[in-house]
Amino acid sequence: MPELTISRRGLLAGSALLLASTALPAIGRAQAPKKGGRLIVAADSEPRNLNPAIVASNGVFFISSKVVETLAEASFDGKDGLEPRLALSWEGAADGLSVTFKLRDGVKWHDGKPFTSADVAFSALQVWKPLQNLGRTVFKDLVAVDTPDNLTAVFKFAKPTPFQLIRNALPALSSVVPKHVYENGKIEDNPANNAPVGTGPFKFAEYKAGQYYRLAKNADYWGMDEPYLDEIVYQVLPDRTSAAAALEAEEIQLAAFSAVPLADLDRISKVPGLKVVTKGYEGLTYQLVVEINHRRKELADLKVRQAIAHAIDEDFVVKTIFLGYAASATGPVPKNDPQFYTADVPTYPFDVAKANNLLDEAGYKRADDGKRFTLKLLPAPYFNETKQFGDYLRQALAAIGVDAEIVNNDSAAHIKAVYTDHAFDLAVGPPVFRGDPAISTTILVQSGIPDGVPFSNQGGYKNAELDALIAKASETLDTAARTELYREFQKKVAADLPLINVAEWSFISVARDTVGNIANNPRWAVSNWADTYLAR
Amino acid sequence: MIALAYSTVGVLSFENESSFAPSYGLAMTRALILLRRRLVGSVFVLLIVVIGSFLLLEAAPGDAVDAYIVSTGGDAGMIELLRHRWGLDQSELTRLANYLWALLHLDLGHSVTFSRPIRDVILERLPTTLILMGSATALSFGLGSALGIYAGAAPGSFRDRFLSVGSLALYAVPGFCLGLVLIVVFAVDLRWLPIGGIETIASAKTGLERAADIATHLVLPVSALGVIYLALYLRMMRAGMAEAWRQDFVLAARARGLPRRRIVLAHVARNALLPLVTMLGLQSAQMLGGSVVIESVFAVPGLGRLAQEAVAGRDTPLLLGIILVSAVLVIVINLLVDLAYAFLDPRVGASEAGA
Amino acid sequence: MNRLHRFFRTPEAIAGALILALLVAMALAASLLFPGDPQAIAGPALLPPFQDWSLPLGTDRLGRDVLAELFHGARTSLAVGLAAAAAALLIGTVVGTLAGFAGGLIDEVLMRITDAFQTVPGFLLALAFVSIVGPSLGVVVVAIALSAWTGPARVARAEVLSIRERDYVAGARVIGMHPIAIAFREVLPNALPPVLALSSVIVAAAILTEAALSFLGLGDPNRVTWGGMIAEGRTVLRTAPYLSIVPGIALVLTVLGVYLAGEGVVESSAVRRSLS
Repeated sequence: MPELTISRRGLLAGSALLLASTALPAIGRAQAPKKGGRLIVAADSEPRNLNPAIVASNGVFFISSKVVETLAEASFDGKDGLEPRLALSWEGAADGLSVTFKLRDGVKWHDGKPFTSADVAFSALQVWKPLQNLGRTVFKDLVAVDTPDNLTAVFKFAKPTPFQLIRNALPALSSVVPKHVYENGKIEDNPANNAPVGTGPFKFAEYKAGQYYRLAKNADYWGMDEPYLDEIVYQVLPDRTSAAAALEAEEIQLAAFSAVPLADLDRISKVPGLKVVTKGYEGLTYQLVVEINHRRKELADLKVRQAIAHAIDEDFVVKTIFLGYAASATGPVPKNDPQFYTADVPTYPFDVAKANNLLDEAGYKRADDGKRFTLKLLPAPYFNETKQFGDYLRQALAAIGVDAEIVNNDSAAHIKAVYTDHAFDLAVGPPVFRGDPAISTTILVQSGIPDGVPFSNQGGYKNAELDALIAKASETLDTAARTELYREFQKKVAADLPLINVAEWSFISVARDTVGNIANNPRWAVSNWADTYLAR
Repeated sequence: MIALAYSTVGVLSFENESSFAPSYGLAMTRALILLRRRLVGSVFVLLIVVIGSFLLLEAAPGDAVDAYIVSTGGDAGMIELLRHRWGLDQSELTRLANYLWALLHLDLGHSVTFSRPIRDVILERLPTTLILMGSATALSFGLGSALGIYAGAAPGSFRDRFLSVGSLALYAVPGFCLGLVLIVVFAVDLRWLPIGGIETIASAKTGLERAADIATHLVLPVSALGVIYLALYLRMMRAGMAEAWRQDFVLAARARGLPRRRIVLAHVARNALLPLVTMLGLQSAQMLGGSVVIESVFAVPGLGRLAQEAVAGRDTPLLLGIILVSAVLVIVINLLVDLAYAFLDPRVGASEAGA
Repeated sequence: MNRLHRFFRTPEAIAGALILALLVAMALAASLLFPGDPQAIAGPALLPPFQDWSLPLGTDRLGRDVLAELFHGARTSLAVGLAAAAAALLIGTVVGTLAGFAGGLIDEVLMRITDAFQTVPGFLLALAFVSIVGPSLGVVVVAIALSAWTGPARVARAEVLSIRERDYVAGARVIGMHPIAIAFREVLPNALPPVLALSSVIVAAAILTEAALSFLGLGDPNRVTWGGMIAEGRTVLRTAPYLSIVPGIALVLTVLGVYLAGEGVVESSAVRRSLS
């Protein structure tokens, strides 16, 4: 089981809670799972497209992953951190040109039709590669999927594609949708995008806009005795404070994705009948990043970037903003990643005097009013913590004579301002680490990305050496060599600071203690919940 | 005091209608004339509303695609694909013309946020907001005028001052604060009432049982919304009554030695009630705005929250649809109030003068 | 003097005036008592009130001094209220005067535009406007003014309609004054008092609207406002209720004070208007 690498306090809190309440398999067995019951879960948003094969995002998975399954799921103790779902095994060819999947037998779609390799081929070629937000990159060289029999699918690539990358992509990118439902008409307009049909433990039953989603038990599910629950209902609670109140009032039984504000956790953990669970998100690490616009002449100077890095007190960020439920960051790969992370990178300890010296050296002396220059700071509005960090960063910069003016946008305006118009000097962003740097991390550094691509390098940073490294790693087949290249990548990024990684955090669940088998895999909140149960 | 009620709410009387003959028999004809004039005027008003809102939304940084990719990410090709599919690559004028043309056919268009026809999305939310607004209006009007009569029966007394300042204090409380406090007290601590929503989710209740369920869910949001506007009716009522006490017919009634209770109800309050009816109409736009916040706090799936979602999702046609529907709603309510007024009070024209 | 005397006749008006005086004092004293940035981190986070006498009202989520924020917030709330009211009165008076004085087509067009603004729920308009232009103090002020100018416009127009037929206006016309000059020099000053009577209501509504916008995450992050403080505090409403209660009380008292004082002014002046 990979070590939990949230901060020390988070770690302690986490393990204490684990012992106390979380149903890890070993502990969970003390209480036999019960069958039946309705689990009511808080949902803070209503995704407009529920097809996880098109929209591979946590908001969609949170609901759809119970309906539409992937080929494999992340696992604490499986080989390569995976466990089988619709695929039983996966094997990459030595030349990197093909990957063979053996599929599970006896699986039925919710409409009773059998699941076959044709569905996998259809999903990969017609959906993941052309339509999926992440699949468009990972499967860009996929040219064909051979189906020698109903239970074998062979992915063929035009260029060598690292098997490690495909493997790491399976939990998030490989949702299989039924060919017979999607083959007629435009896939994007298919009504099943709003009422998904899959092979999962729960069938999509009902959606009332602004109120709830209801999933009902799939009696024909392939898992033995699963699912345990009769129903899962997602109650839409748009206001940030209502999830905690709803839990206390026993109107809901689970609030995932930190729907209960961090500052409220201490209090709510003392409420009888409720438990705070910090596990189950290890595969969903968010990174707190200061994005830098290198078009600003001051910020193009490495010394200034180093000064900013030294001005940020990562310890304060972890302790005060994240209340310990986070870890400080050293570079572009989070510490809790078992494959790629290296601690052997240049670091920037909190040192205001040094930061001031660096700025003096760079030639930006303080003016009479104590200010060196003024920056426009755009904190991403998606999380409380990104906004709070924006407020903190403004203060931290003030201490080194940099006057930051915060621009507060809503999500749409923020995306447009930062990634299309480049109307920022510094931005605070929360990119997601998806288990492999090639999926969503290198894009934050790589040059030559067209304007308007969100969560990518739009700061005008260009470093030929890093670009070459990224290109080389994307076609290196040997896992050890590829991993080594990404360690090199981390060192170079930490040295040249195209962006500043401040902290890494994950989410917290709060549940009634009758909810069993929660947090038993690293992507639990977005996994299929087949073994989740309610003890009554 | 009347000025308070008057401008906070926004006086929505359209034109100073020509003076009417004080004969009840002509009421019908007058109502029809009023109706025709209002309808013609309303078309222009709605056109201004639509074009104004459209231009405002066009000026927004970020479009529906920007709002969509927040949760997904995606490359340049995908973004271009989405813009094309949602028709966002056409020019502004083309889209405005298309929108107006569709509107002529009573077609509100297609929501990209919900992938559904906007008419359906709005019709689904409208009843909720109507119930919420209707109940809150009934509460503030009923309780407000009752307390107003109680206060106005003894102008200048302690209870008059207490009620008047007390209701004003409630009026000064931001709606969301009141909502949050009500939730903590009545839903979390006492657990008397549900914390939010419009009905117990997925409960399969029907008929009376469902109505009772909805009523329980509405208690807190209706109280939060209604109690705030209570002050308007209360203060208007007592101000009207203070005025009425000095009128000849009240003095005459007192001279005749009628019981005080009878004077208060039959003469003073009755005369002060009419302006409150006008206020009912004028206040509708205000309440619709107030319900945005209340619906968000109480997770009520109404029009106000839909508007917030439309803004966040940059769903221009959806927000236009909502603004249009609420504008029509406000116009219709005011028209109904005026029609009722035209029947009740032949001097209707005079009271609107100068507003 | 007489008028001042009449103003202080009722305890309500006195209370209102006291609250307002206190508010103004707070706003003026803010930078004297709490020089420097009120958003600077001053101590440990979430310190409860009355624990540390250098931070009497405690600190917020990031360790900022709540008392300093409260004082600076008074300044912003007052500024937002006054600026929005001034803007609304200005737009309203100009539109109303033009419409009332010009009559005919201009009147018709301006009044239809006024109708359009009144038909759209004001808060909805402000919400859309701020989310689109981006929240900063100036934008919030404009958004509030946009939804509040119609009242003054109607009152101004009605006043102008009644004034323009009076003798001195006819006199001005006879001596050949330009219509615009007549409108703004002769008519407007006389139409102004009833319009100004609306100002307290608009100030109060502006302060409340700013708070509601902040509550929905549409406040200016570079300034402390009471609405913003409540919005930030409400995520820890149960753990640190003082963070919402302190600015909440300040807000309610201020709005109440503005109403009461405004009413005192209206009642003490001769220009009381009534609806019927």
